[in-house]
Amino acid sequence: MLIIKSRPRPGIGSVLVRFLLAAGVLASAEALPATPNFEGVWLIASPTNTLKPLSGSIPFTAEGQKQYQENKRLRAKGAFDDYDITLSRCNSPGTPRLMLNSERFKIWQRFGVLTFDFEWNRALRQIDASGRPPKADMMGQGLIPTMTGTSKGHWEGDTLVAETTNFSDRTLLDELVPHTLDLKVTEHLRLLDPETLEDRITIADPAYFKRPWDAAVTYKRQPAALFPEDVCLDRHEAHQPVFPPK
Amino acid sequence: MRTEFRWRPALKGLVLACAAVLAIGPGSAGAQAPPAGAPPAPDAKAPVYSQSGPPPPPPLSPVEKLVTALPPPQPGGGPPMLPLAADAPMPSADPHDLQGTWIHNQPLQFRMQRDMYGVLVPYNMEGAKVLARRVNSLKNGAPFINASAICRPPGPQWQRDLNFPFQIFQSKDWIEFVFEEYHGRWQLILDPAKAPRPAQKNYMGYSVAHWDGGTLVVESSEFKQPLWLDVDGTPLSANGKIVQRIRKVDNGERAPFLEIVSTFIDPTYYTRPWSVVRTYGWNPDLTVFTEYNCEEQIGDPSVRADAGLVPEPQD
Repeated sequence: MLIIKSRPRPGIGSVLVRFLLAAGVLASAEALPATPNFEGVWLIASPTNTLKPLSGSIPFTAEGQKQYQENKRLRAKGAFDDYDITLSRCNSPGTPRLMLNSERFKIWQRFGVLTFDFEWNRALRQIDASGRPPKADMMGQGLIPTMTGTSKGHWEGDTLVAETTNFSDRTLLDELVPHTLDLKVTEHLRLLDPETLEDRITIADPAYFKRPWDAAVTYKRQPAALFPEDVCLDRHEAHQPVFPPK
Repeated sequence: MRTEFRWRPALKGLVLACAAVLAIGPGSAGAQAPPAGAPPAPDAKAPVYSQSGPPPPPPLSPVEKLVTALPPPQPGGGPPMLPLAADAPMPSADPHDLQGTWIHNQPLQFRMQRDMYGVLVPYNMEGAKVLARRVNSLKNGAPFINASAICRPPGPQWQRDLNFPFQIFQSKDWIEFVFEEYHGRWQLILDPAKAPRPAQKNYMGYSVAHWDGGTLVVESSEFKQPLWLDVDGTPLSANGKIVQRIRKVDNGERAPFLEIVSTFIDPTYYTRPWSVVRTYGWNPDLTVFTEYNCEEQIGDPSVRADAGLVPEPQD
């Protein structure tokens, strides 16, 4: 398969290697680290509907706790469209909730851009690690907050660091946890081994959380496959679950 | 004794014979020169081809009358195609490697009125009626439901015709097109043994491909529902087939493109197969897509699921 590599911003690792080369300590340029390749088919290792903090509980502010409790009340009432338009409309779950999906996704890595292509409803998200200026936005679409936000990434050695902002506030972090327009999601993605991908997720949203908090999700590599054509709206119209049972 | 052909007298005789024929000419017997400045008088006995200009076209068939009487389609347009950056990467030189980011770089055609040779689309009466019904439904303010309007995959032709980017990824077993619009996906199977036939029909059909030299030939069929090939509803029945011939063209001017010739085979609506051609410019700067999330509006439970459109009559 053809991979066209971008020129990523040098992480500390590659900067150090270049210095050591110049100093005559390293023998050859082959010691320079290549951009890791995340391409392949992946599946969450431990399916979950909740984004669990690595330690303790979610550090809600009073406002965040209030909205969280309201979401729980609406869920108990079955008023899904009042708090979770993914369940009520097949709306994109957005970032980071897409990364909790129980079905497979593919990662394509071309021209410095990582495209996540989900089996669920053919959903897409992308991380732009090309370092190139954004494309011309003649219709002002960049002014509109989106479900998946705008993700900019750079490589630090073997880790892709992605920062996502410009979120719509119509999504949830998981099946219940709310956020505001000011959400910022920072992800550190790296291969723990050739078969395991880790996404360490940092959530920052001062209106709802007293401090940033971390979660981590791992994925296992799957065999190459073509995903079936999934149309969530068809399932929704047939009164089937928006998220098929695991 | 050898007899030589005496060509000079023969040639002279030939010239004289031609002059006699031209002097006689049809209708010239007894004709008088027209007045100076006036057009020559028409001769009822003269065949059509002797008059100036091409012969008149044959009269329109009932099908053609129906189709050509429809309101004209909206003029097509599309976003301006910006030139590539000087340092933009180029596609692989391998003609069998179509990977990269591409975008339809011609104005969107709201209605395919003629094929790629400029000939009227060969509707039969059934196809013409379906088109007319669809076009008039919009004119009458009660447009029909179609896949695009209700956030469903619109089929390969409409999906590709939109002026929005797509990426191509490929392996030895299949090729995948991933589109910005409708977060669409089109899968081309190179090795059917590696990709089981889907359990149910897909909106995008089932597409099997093979290489014919440097051209990828893709046969798409088994569509989940009838297709609208374009915005105005040029029809393809669910049993119709689209054969796409895809090749990569690089004229060495840093403007490579894909050329896709689509041939529509559908005896339900057309008297014969017919083809259109599209080109898709290479542009890696468009790899970052704009989010497309039509479900937010279409899935809204407070509005009608048909987006206010009218169900199309099923013949």
